[in-house]
Amino acid sequence: MESLSDTRWDVVISGTGLRHSLLALALSRSNKKILHVDENDYYGGPEAAFSLQEVDEWVEELGKAPTSTLFRNASIWKSEEETSTDSPTLSFSRAYTLTLSPQIIYTKSKLLSRLVSSKVYRQLEFQAVGNWWIYNAEEAVLKRLPNGREDIFQDKNIDNRAKRNLMKFLKFVVDYENQTDVWEAQSESGLDIFLSSKFNFPAHLQIVITALTLSLAPPSETSVKWALPRIARHLTSIGLFGPGFGAVVPKWGGGAEISQVACRAGAVGGGVYVLGTGIENVKVVEAEDTESPAFHLALSNGEAVGTKLYVHEATDKDNGGITTVSKAISIISSSVPSLFRSTVEGSPLAAVSVVVFPPMSLQIADGIQSDPVYIMVHSSETGECPAGQSVLYSTTKSSSLSKIVLQAALESLMNRVPNQGKLLYTLYYEQTAPSGSPLDLSFDDQLLEQVEAQWREVMAEKANEESFMQFEERKGMEAEEEDDNDY
Amino acid sequence: MAEATAPKPSSSVKLVLLGEAAVGKSSLVLRFVNNDFQENKEPTIGAAFLTQKCNLPTRTIKFEIWDTAGQERFASLAPMYYRNAQSALVVYDLTKPTSLVKAKHWVAELQRQASPGIVIALVGNKLDLTNESASSSNNLGDDSEGDATEGEADDGDARKVSTAEAKSYAEEEGLLFFETSAKNGTNVSEVFTAIANAIPETSLKGARGPGATQAASRTEDQSRVNLTGPRDSAAKDTCAC
Repeated sequence: MESLSDTRWDVVISGTGLRHSLLALALSRSNKKILHVDENDYYGGPEAAFSLQEVDEWVEELGKAPTSTLFRNASIWKSEEETSTDSPTLSFSRAYTLTLSPQIIYTKSKLLSRLVSSKVYRQLEFQAVGNWWIYNAEEAVLKRLPNGREDIFQDKNIDNRAKRNLMKFLKFVVDYENQTDVWEAQSESGLDIFLSSKFNFPAHLQIVITALTLSLAPPSETSVKWALPRIARHLTSIGLFGPGFGAVVPKWGGGAEISQVACRAGAVGGGVYVLGTGIENVKVVEAEDTESPAFHLALSNGEAVGTKLYVHEATDKDNGGITTVSKAISIISSSVPSLFRSTVEGSPLAAVSVVVFPPMSLQIADGIQSDPVYIMVHSSETGECPAGQSVLYSTTKSSSLSKIVLQAALESLMNRVPNQGKLLYTLYYEQTAPSGSPLDLSFDDQLLEQVEAQWREVMAEKANEESFMQFEERKGMEAEEEDDNDY
Repeated sequence: MAEATAPKPSSSVKLVLLGEAAVGKSSLVLRFVNNDFQENKEPTIGAAFLTQKCNLPTRTIKFEIWDTAGQERFASLAPMYYRNAQSALVVYDLTKPTSLVKAKHWVAELQRQASPGIVIALVGNKLDLTNESASSSNNLGDDSEGDATEGEADDGDARKVSTAEAKSYAEEEGLLFFETSAKNGTNVSEVFTAIANAIPETSLKGARGPGATQAASRTEDQSRVNLTGPRDSAAKDTCAC
């Protein structure tokens, strides 16, 4: 291939974030001529994963272009004690893979079944999200959330009356779609009012139930119609792929890993990949016929290409919902085994634990913590850090206090766990959602629906003959002799 | 390749193939996987992915081979191919000195960016175009040193990169080193066997996917969640309420 301009492209995809990578995967058997470019010299876009050195470069780049991106106010803090040989220190840069997308994926998510049906799951390794912990401010302890019905029965902290109410609620919520009479009138109200009026839940139970939704807002601002499907998803996901967990994460960097595996499938299918090359100018042209390009694109490497379809990353800001979050990625010198200890027989070794700090549970010097903080604790099993350390991904809604709130949550977590270890590193940043992909701590199947819609657009009438992301095993995948003419 | 008779531990090893266009990367893999060679092969269009088993005395290694096939100019497939790769095969054409320069660039990039423990093999291909090929099979000893003076093609020897030069570079950088001919098969399987032997035991993961040997790797993969496996034992824990 001498020049990109020589090819009449069917589709040019700009950006290798999760969404567009999944599109490349979906189109990988379509025999379309696909050019997939990314202005960054790394894969994954907003879902990228970095070594420490790459984080440094990323932060520096953000500093140069503060307005044009979904990320801002990034800064790095490093522990300075390097003198004493005993004190734990950071390992070398590549010992770490810090991901911008530590999203958990519920086992019920269609993403997992699509990764299986498209056969790329063989290139991925999934690990369990184990315990969920909630910080109880009165007792200053982390409490493990009950993991299903039997757990609730055995929980001595819940009195019998509350247990009955909880059971009633759990029974309702997994069937909420058929019981609209219970909730439809209150679908827009806050989850707190609904839970107290319909199920007599005291405040602490409202908080626990809201935590299961991973809502970034307090219960009063978490709407019933948004929350119910998420609670149902949480409960019905438990046990689907094994006992004791309801969600998974991909090893080696979360969303970044899926994005690269999807792009690899795109490349194996014949897609051409060019990093460090963006689209500088787009000219929509009157296509003479269906075989002529409808877009003339000027690439930042100086080449000009024509394509029938052009798919680009949405960078416009979303107006609905929570649009900006504050995040911290921290490395600590402890494997915090107590957070990962399994209570369910036969469950896999969990690689992720979720810790929730409900609104107002943290002491903040000049103000109150109005929104919850979520910390996803990743053990070294994820391949993101060396053994004996952990990576903590903290998130809260952005505000003037959010950085202080995140720090307080981190400090609180480290004080609650034995052999707490030391904070070695923190990357702090703010992230704004592009429209159509809300900032969510769990993978939102809506993204997959967007990919399917784009796939249908590209495939046109052929979309009716084929199933979305439903592929046969590639010959090379088997250990059998290759008699194909792939060469 | 012999069939494994007794059940041996089986591990997948990701291998990325790097090097300048037209040095014979795909031909090497074709020889390794199919024991075949195509004269005047067209440049590979589209990236190729192949697997091949390599039987060692104590274990079976299943190579997952990623070929950057045809897209060398953009150098954009390599980063996602060598991500978490346990091994890399960096190929140059021993009749083309510039291809060794390119190979050295790849080695440097791998050492900078790839997994710290990655096993790298430097391979000089097209040994059949030199006049040693007729007699030699795989003796890359010191005997061939110095006898490849550049530009001396009148005796049918097109070699432009001496064994000594490439070998000493490989030694400096801690690389495995071979000269091969994908055309007549010289040293091809030896390269892959040497890589398989050089992969540290600790970096071997269990076989991937449910299709591959299921029992062997359970203990070392305690954290792995099987997306397609049996879900029986789980059923009662589902919070069906």
